[in-house]
Amino acid sequence: MPDTSEKDPVITSSLGTFLVVSSVLVMLTLVWALYNEFFGLRPWKSYERDFAVRYVKFLRKQIPVQESAEKAILASPDYQQLDQQVKAAEEQVKDKSDETDKQIAILDARFSAITETFTTERAYVATQVYAIEHTSLDNQTSLQNKLAKHEAGPFRVSLPTLPDGKIVTGDYTFQQLQDEFNKVQLDKANMLEEKSELLRPVSELRKKRDAYLTDHLNGLTTEQMRGVLKKTQDASIEIKQINNPDAGIVDRCETCHAGIREQVVITAKDMGGKEVFVSHPEPDLLTLHDPEKFGCSPCHGGNGMALESKERAHGQYEHWLWPLHPMENVQAGCQQCHAMDMVLDHAPVLSDGKDLFQRRGCVGCHRFQNYDPEPELIASVQQQLLLFENQRSEAQRNIARSIQLGDAAPDNDTARMYYTQADKLRVSISDIDGRIEQLDRRSKDLLRDTKKVGPDLKEVRVKMHPDWIPVWLTNPHAWRPSTRMPRFRLADNEVKAISAFIWQSGIDAALPTQPQGDPVKGKESFETRGCMGCHSLDESSPHFAANLSRVGEKDNYDYLVRWIHNPRERTRPYCPFEKRDLTEADYKKHGLPFVFDLDHSKCPNDGHELQVEQETIMPNLRLTIEESRDIASYLMTLKTKDPSSYAKADYLNDPSLKAQGHALVQRYGCAGCHEIAGMEDEGRIGTELTKEGSKPIEQIDFALLTREAREQGWYDHKGFFEHKLAKPEIYDTGRDWKDRDPNDRLRMPDFDLKQPEINALTTFLMGAVESQIPQRYWDAPEDQRRDIQEGWWVVKKYNCMGCHQFMVGQSSRLMTLPRYQTPEWRDQLPPKLMGEGARVSPDWMEKFLANPAMDSKDTDRDGVRAYLKARMPTFFFSPIEIRKLVRFFQALSGQPMPYIPPKLEPLTDQEIAMARALFTSKGAPCLKCHATGDPSHDKFATAPNFLLARDRLKPGWARRWMLDPSMIAPGTAMPSGLFKPVGDHYVFAGPTPDIFKGYDGDQPELLVRYMFEITPDEQRRLMGMSADMLKTSELIRIQEPVHRLTDSRQNRMPSGPIAAKIAGR
Amino acid sequence: MNKRNLILLFTALIILALVACGKKEEETAEQPSAPATNAPAPTPIDQSTVGEVTGKVSFDGAKPKAPVIHMDQDPVCVQKHAGKVVTAEDAEVNDNGTLPNVFVYVKSGAEKYTFAPPSDPVVLDQNGCMYQPHVLGIMAGQTFKVVSSDPTTHNIHPMPKDNREWNMSQAPGAAPIEQKFARPEIMVPVKCNQHPWMRAWIGVTTNPFYAVTGSDGTFSIKGLPPGTYTIEAWSAIGGTGQTSDQTVTIGPKESKSVDFTFKAS
Repeated sequence: MPDTSEKDPVITSSLGTFLVVSSVLVMLTLVWALYNEFFGLRPWKSYERDFAVRYVKFLRKQIPVQESAEKAILASPDYQQLDQQVKAAEEQVKDKSDETDKQIAILDARFSAITETFTTERAYVATQVYAIEHTSLDNQTSLQNKLAKHEAGPFRVSLPTLPDGKIVTGDYTFQQLQDEFNKVQLDKANMLEEKSELLRPVSELRKKRDAYLTDHLNGLTTEQMRGVLKKTQDASIEIKQINNPDAGIVDRCETCHAGIREQVVITAKDMGGKEVFVSHPEPDLLTLHDPEKFGCSPCHGGNGMALESKERAHGQYEHWLWPLHPMENVQAGCQQCHAMDMVLDHAPVLSDGKDLFQRRGCVGCHRFQNYDPEPELIASVQQQLLLFENQRSEAQRNIARSIQLGDAAPDNDTARMYYTQADKLRVSISDIDGRIEQLDRRSKDLLRDTKKVGPDLKEVRVKMHPDWIPVWLTNPHAWRPSTRMPRFRLADNEVKAISAFIWQSGIDAALPTQPQGDPVKGKESFETRGCMGCHSLDESSPHFAANLSRVGEKDNYDYLVRWIHNPRERTRPYCPFEKRDLTEADYKKHGLPFVFDLDHSKCPNDGHELQVEQETIMPNLRLTIEESRDIASYLMTLKTKDPSSYAKADYLNDPSLKAQGHALVQRYGCAGCHEIAGMEDEGRIGTELTKEGSKPIEQIDFALLTREAREQGWYDHKGFFEHKLAKPEIYDTGRDWKDRDPNDRLRMPDFDLKQPEINALTTFLMGAVESQIPQRYWDAPEDQRRDIQEGWWVVKKYNCMGCHQFMVGQSSRLMTLPRYQTPEWRDQLPPKLMGEGARVSPDWMEKFLANPAMDSKDTDRDGVRAYLKARMPTFFFSPIEIRKLVRFFQALSGQPMPYIPPKLEPLTDQEIAMARALFTSKGAPCLKCHATGDPSHDKFATAPNFLLARDRLKPGWARRWMLDPSMIAPGTAMPSGLFKPVGDHYVFAGPTPDIFKGYDGDQPELLVRYMFEITPDEQRRLMGMSADMLKTSELIRIQEPVHRLTDSRQNRMPSGPIAAKIAGR
Repeated sequence: MNKRNLILLFTALIILALVACGKKEEETAEQPSAPATNAPAPTPIDQSTVGEVTGKVSFDGAKPKAPVIHMDQDPVCVQKHAGKVVTAEDAEVNDNGTLPNVFVYVKSGAEKYTFAPPSDPVVLDQNGCMYQPHVLGIMAGQTFKVVSSDPTTHNIHPMPKDNREWNMSQAPGAAPIEQKFARPEIMVPVKCNQHPWMRAWIGVTTNPFYAVTGSDGTFSIKGLPPGTYTIEAWSAIGGTGQTSDQTVTIGPKESKSVDFTFKAS
């Protein structure tokens, strides 16, 4: 057969190559898929495995270390002593406890012995009862009889019997068996309770001993660590996820960051350098913010759900709006929920940023919620006032209508209804009037609280040396590197125009000529009165207020004297209604003297509230005019050259420059920080920054630097802020920018910020975002914590921390000055305010804050601590701010408001005699340090007068203070150890007067009650009694009328005679 | 077959790689650190080779007039001195132009040795409302015992920078106060808030090599093992304290002399 068949493809051609290629391809795909499954798509798996390996190794290494530390503690004498105590206590109760155990054992035996018989019979009785209930009536009686007979027994049981377990055999009826059965159980329960009562001291000691171990052992115990080890070894590889659907949080960060919540402190070194596995550096923060509720990404940023790569998880790719905050800005994450907080524990960088935003005057141009809110609040109060006025007139119309309707009513009931309606409306008007009054006052207070970052430029003519102004404007940093005034990029002609405008719009008035003071005394005053709490005399360290080292080159002496004497004094009051500064003529017109101050603050023309104070933070130190002159004379000596050496600036008076100057001042927003005539109502010229951190990046203008920023990797919010803050004009670039209309150029001036300041502000701005977290997660408490939040704004606003210590570990500025390093001067530091709310009565504090002299006439003094050279100044706080401060301190100490003083048991005559004896006994040093009002004594005094106690202090605090003041104010001059515990009370640690024989009351408490009753009269008596102890030769001379303190609240303030007594004047 | 082999091979490779990685870590792991012990044992010192540093501290300048202390704030103090004028010790200069109350100690060079603090306490007495001694040295961890010979209440208030601050009242006849300073510090001022003129200075050291000059202005530090040391002298003269350092090398059994001079500031 010829081979005619065509070539059979089955035979002739082969798919081998194709198959080989495809199978190789399939294989490769599979390999790739497998690889991707295990490594590509799920890199986290290797992280988890790696963690387990490293952590197990670390724990294995660590457990023996901890074990030996534990052993050392177990061997320490303290632990041994505790252990001995436990053993001794065990020994002590051993016999009794063993006896109880024995009895319990007998009872157990008795119980089991009775159980068998009883349960068998009980079952039988139950069946019989069932049978009786289900049988015919005829049968019932016979069955009942049968059962009764059976129940009568007797049942013979042999029971072990207390106390020695002897077995007693007896006959019981069923009822007796049942009673015995119950009794045994009850007896056992009683016995067990007796035992636990017996062992309570032992178990308490044991708890104490075990607590000693955990307290002294750094970290977990060995046993706990073994548990962790086992847990880690048994852990399976899976995605670890925090899911809080309530807040829309899904965070899988812990899949890789597996060690973050471990209780064992894990460092990168422990994990072979793997940073990813460290435990959270601030576990306290995790306690405050439970990760199960808050997750990770709300604070840290990043894409919490992503697991496919580190970049995705950290949100470091385009179009993810919330990239992970870099380490140096990590505190940015706090801001979204803590916008209300001015001071944040755990977030010093952010707090710094918040502070700088205010202090460097950013707020002058950029609105930011909660910063300098007064003008806005005033506007809102005005709105509310309008609303109430409308309500009031409407109510008035309705009253008339209701009465009319009532008069014409067809019946009495209807008439009464209308009349009631009218009465309701009348009462509502009274209510509205009350509210309007409050709003009026609030508006006045808010005006008082309005402050400017920079000085009042209306005063330039009376304050400044004119030739200095252009020098300053050209480059403030060249003249004073640390100044807050930023550098505007001004051409010479612009400097001239602005200077001329400022000069010409200033108030032209003559100040009284002041005689020269003594600069030597002035220097001492300047350095000791407390000026240095805010001011400095050099370029070192950032400070709150101006560096005054060159004041002599620019200021007018007469003005400086007025300023130091009362910085709030204005040359003329400003009427916000008429929008101008009033003159003497305005007052004369109405036959009024030209007097304006906080008590005379109504416009004579139209009755509107006036701005009667300079809008400065600087308080009044209540110095005499002489001392003010001394200080001013000293400050005038501070100069590097004579003001006359500045180039003459005659153009200041050139009226043709004024219009150009005005336009420039408007363009640069000078009125944001300064008060300038005619520009009081200018708005802020910059962008609002409250949510700047989450503005879409496309809306942020990198201008021509966009490409460069992308290439260099700073095309993000952080990059923009940092570059802008370091060099605000950086985005003014390109070939044509110099030809651009000046209005199109960037106006933000140069602040010469240092790197840490840039970082702090960048952190703050990065955190200023439209939060993704529901508002209920924010830190916006309604309770006392809100008072704390609000208080910090005031504390920061007035730089209270320049002089006072608020927190242990925080230094006031004064504390850091060289002068205050010696033991003598350390005792001259202003008081520490830790626990202030627990110490002082809020009523007293309110009065003290309003007038720290605590006297309306004699103000050249300190109401509490006359012995301090530094003086608590008068800040002229408005009632709004006083309320905030008082509440702040009370809230910090968890004290309820209003404060109702506890009633103290009045002293009996015997107790008075005892208290006197103790106060004046040789051992009692109280009157050596505490002021008494006697000048010859008080020149040595280093502590407040006891007369203040009653109104100022809280009795419980006073007792705690006496017992151990170092627990309240570490480092205080008041010594500890004045009292020692005896039983449940304290007694004086020194020789106690004989009169105390047989007295077993609490002696510090007695002294507190005495202190709270003491009168000036009584105090003099004390001084007389201790004449041999103290130098009291001049004491008897004081013969002023004695004012007995009474309980009525009106008389509780030591004003007038008492206050005078306290001061010893 | 081929495929399975490949998978197997691949898996084996992965396992190998993993094991290899793991191994490497294992190798670089450190040995468990030695268990921490509470107090290191003192370094033995060969007493046959020890030397000595002696010297004199002089004052450069006219002898300043020491301020008079007025104690009339507490008559008890005045009585104790029976009319004698008391002056501030910080400003004292000896008649021979030397300085008393200078604290001289080995500032550095002795770090390689460990010393156990002596079991005897260092005693500070309050007598006539003055501290005795005015300047004293103590080793960190040594007991500091404060007694009072005055029939008035004092309070003892050391104001350290590096140590824990405390302030204890001591009534007449009360038990001595015993405290310790845990950390070295030059110098800790001590004051009594009730008698503000009272002042003592405490030098807390980590070694026993310190001395305080007396009325002849000399000092001697004995028992120094051979080596090179920085000797520092501290004086309160003319203010709040000034120091001066000198380096000295001591051979076996050698005695070297080091003199210091202070000015009024």
